[in-house]
Amino acid sequence: MNTSLFIACQQCDALYDKPQLKQGQLAKCHRCGSTLIERKVDSIERSFNWSLAGLLLMLPAILLPIMGVTLAGQFHQASLFDCILVLIDRGFFMIALLVFLFAIAVPIVRLSGALYISYSFKFNKLKPSLLNFFRAYHHLDNWAMLNVFMLGIVVSMYKLIDDTELSVNLGLLAFIFWLICSTMSAVALDQDYIWDKLEKAFAKNEADNENS
Amino acid sequence: MKTAKQCGVALCPKCHKLNNATAEKIQCSRCHGLYYQRKRNSLQYTLAWNLAALIAFIPANLYPIMIVYQLGIGSEATILSGIGEFIDHGLYPIAVIIFTASIIVPLIKIIGLFVLVYKAHTGIRLKPDKHSKIYHILEFLGPWSMLDVFVVALMVTVVELGFVTSVAAGPAINYFTITVIFTMFAANSFDPRLLWDKKAE
Repeated sequence: MNTSLFIACQQCDALYDKPQLKQGQLAKCHRCGSTLIERKVDSIERSFNWSLAGLLLMLPAILLPIMGVTLAGQFHQASLFDCILVLIDRGFFMIALLVFLFAIAVPIVRLSGALYISYSFKFNKLKPSLLNFFRAYHHLDNWAMLNVFMLGIVVSMYKLIDDTELSVNLGLLAFIFWLICSTMSAVALDQDYIWDKLEKAFAKNEADNENS
Repeated sequence: MKTAKQCGVALCPKCHKLNNATAEKIQCSRCHGLYYQRKRNSLQYTLAWNLAALIAFIPANLYPIMIVYQLGIGSEATILSGIGEFIDHGLYPIAVIIFTASIIVPLIKIIGLFVLVYKAHTGIRLKPDKHSKIYHILEFLGPWSMLDVFVVALMVTVVELGFVTSVAAGPAINYFTITVIFTMFAANSFDPRLLWDKKAE
């Protein structure tokens, strides 16, 4: 059986003939309704730009203070980075680790991963190591929690606004843009297209090696 | 409708390429990753993670999650009593959000996965289309329970005015994160294709 002519649904394993899609089209599973394959418009270009913008916004989002409180004449403000320092300082290692992993490390790794992949495709520098790289990239799919952290910021602002004087800083704006950029770079990345290209590039290489 | 399993092929979970299922452990011809036709021991893993999450959820609710110090006097709050405070202050939207994220969502996830495992194992009144939709919702809800942890982390950091007011995290926060992470592992190890397999039998 020639497996390249077929495609199976990831959710219910139904088997279909592989459809030929144009950019912007998507194929859905007849049985369970989940997306089979999707061709995204301008995927490489868009994910390159979004992830580059995200990486540029990373430093202000992490280092600028997000919000501050004034109470009884004292003022205190904190950035995402302060957040981790304070948590370590006061001995809450577990939440320090969690905030670091889910709100800083995973988004950065994902953004740089998306940037590296789209850079390699944009300038046509495909290497066999990309196969492993892109496979590893998928492991982090579920673990970026910038959106949850954003809701956390909103909730704690709501909590604080009642009995303290709350001030919002530039860090919050940078954080919101960072969240948008990292979400968009993940959404724009067209996995099926990338895997197809990688397969073709390295199938050819293997054939070349056999000939030589 | 035929499934890939019936035709002797298997879908790579990472790069979504079909490969001939020649052995139990398949190496993908495209991404060279190793995988099995179905997630291995899926139901056992889901059940185990789920049970662990349920156990961790008990201390998460009994111990205080946040301790607010005002002029040196600390007042402890558990998840539920914190929500009660919001209602007393009339902050209903926040009370609803926190209640949903830290009580309803973890419970729904744990109960829902137990039901899905039970249905996939026994096949009693199994409706794969409906149940796989439920699975999708459970999978999507996963990270949102982390909300309470992030709120406590932010409160500890921002409200740090020495003797006047400061906030400390209570022991419940660790148990609560364990609950959330374990339910995420549980949802990840469940294979929705088992629902369809069972129906087809």
